[in-house]
Amino acid sequence: MGKKWSVNETFKHSFIILVCIAMLYPLLLMVQMSVKDKKQIVFHFFSFNGPYHFVNYGKAWEKVAPMIWNSFVMSTGSALVGVLFAALAGYAFGKMKFPGRQILFWVLFAKMLLPGVMNFIPSFILALKLGLLDTYWVIILFAAAAAQPFWVFVIRTFVEQQPKELFESATIDGATELQTFWHVAAPLLKPMFTLMGINLFLGVWNDYIWPLVTIQSAEMRPLTIGLAFLTNGFPGDYGALMAGYVIASIPLLLLFVFGMRQFVAGLTGGAIKL
Amino acid sequence: MNVSRKWPMKAWMTAYLFVLPSIAMTLLFEYFPMFDGIYHSFYRWDGANLESFIGFDNFVRIFQDPTFYVSLQNMLFFLVFGLILMFPTIVACIVLFRIKSSRLQYMYRVLFCVPMIVPGIVSLLIWKFMYNPQIGFFNQLLTFIGLDDYAQLWLGDPVLAKWCILLMGFPFIQTIAALIYLGGLQSVDSHIWDAADIDGAGPIKRMIHVELPLMKGQFKLNLIGVLAGTVTGYGTQLVLTNGGPGFSTLVPGLYMYQRAFGGKTEFGYASAVGLVLFVISLLISIIAFKYIRSDD
Repeated sequence: MGKKWSVNETFKHSFIILVCIAMLYPLLLMVQMSVKDKKQIVFHFFSFNGPYHFVNYGKAWEKVAPMIWNSFVMSTGSALVGVLFAALAGYAFGKMKFPGRQILFWVLFAKMLLPGVMNFIPSFILALKLGLLDTYWVIILFAAAAAQPFWVFVIRTFVEQQPKELFESATIDGATELQTFWHVAAPLLKPMFTLMGINLFLGVWNDYIWPLVTIQSAEMRPLTIGLAFLTNGFPGDYGALMAGYVIASIPLLLLFVFGMRQFVAGLTGGAIKL
Repeated sequence: MNVSRKWPMKAWMTAYLFVLPSIAMTLLFEYFPMFDGIYHSFYRWDGANLESFIGFDNFVRIFQDPTFYVSLQNMLFFLVFGLILMFPTIVACIVLFRIKSSRLQYMYRVLFCVPMIVPGIVSLLIWKFMYNPQIGFFNQLLTFIGLDDYAQLWLGDPVLAKWCILLMGFPFIQTIAALIYLGGLQSVDSHIWDAADIDGAGPIKRMIHVELPLMKGQFKLNLIGVLAGTVTGYGTQLVLTNGGPGFSTLVPGLYMYQRAFGGKTEFGYASAVGLVLFVISLLISIIAFKYIRSDD
């Protein structure tokens, strides 16, 4: 009986390990290629033996660093604007009573159910007319707006679930609505904000199609677009190209290491765009 | 009035100021483009100078457009295989969940998440490199094992390109879907597993009668994601093949994109394609909404 159990268990482990190897092999290939020169890639495709060409990383860093900065500004900006606006609105819908509350909430809620595919071309024209093309704002504003319906809904639900006395005591103490929001509600909502922030950050970080049409100059390109164009920057130099891909993966690796729990929750909280 | 005494004007103003940024943004950047797109799908429109009302002409054209039908067929191809390829994740999650050592189980789970730290575009570009006909992985591998006669153009071959795009996800573990399934399995009372053990159910029987029914809710959620993503999505095709060679990997979303940004700026026609896709995915989301609600 004991033997049967262990055969069974061995099978499970082998199965999962094989799946992991297959899943991670392209990434290993990327790392392995990133330290090879042109000749080594052609003639020693599968082998690891050196010499290692770390110079690839220097070459790649020059090109990739500005893209990382652009992506960082766009992603962080979207997360900050998106979270702030959704938090204010979610708080007001959850706690305050005012005429038109139901209607305004439904305006937001309905957009959650309507697919976004129709928006793409007119959004581009709108960005063009507002003079937003080729700025960070074209990414930040549109991404923050797209996140509103879902997250206002989530935050409102959360605020409604909090005990009323909590907010009332602040009002009795003479706090303004903004102070109550900031000192009472915001600390409670912090995990929710982190979740939303990471979710928005990742969405923008991974978005490809919107920046492809709205960001035109090479200096403004975020990672996604910049990497796709990088092939032209290193003609035939796949080692440097792969080093660029590795460097591009480091920011999320750091985010992953330092905030894995929130990161994973952020992933499941909404879909990744591409 | 009673209400106004309880909720004075000043409080109203504060509330409006709180919801204003969010509502204004949604109206301007979400609703306005949506209605603008619907409006312009009845126009011949290049986004700048030309703008003339042509009624249903765009839609008549779409339904007579052989390229659009090809793109629909490709979409169905990706849809059918997209649904089939949901199962490797389910099977892997069940096997992973049955592993007894919780420490190793956790480790494997972290490994499942690793592909997510690599930007999506990097995964696509690496696979594109793997399909490279000169120095890509697949042709190198064939040469390595002495089968160079079978080296292919992969993405450059009209018949193979579609299959290459499918194979790209190998072994087809969707990290987000996996996390959702695992979350579902975890939330179940452990008595169920003991009961299954006592009944002496074999691994396959246990999967069919215990785990799969337990994952039904999570399956529905992921199913909707796959449906909506495949009907309107086109990022993968755009990066890997741009719909080619010929129209062999063209999908409707990409067709919309190309009509608007592929050099011709037929924004009116592209908007009409967008409206058709909008209606299809709206129907899916209505059905999905009812289906999810039906027994939860």
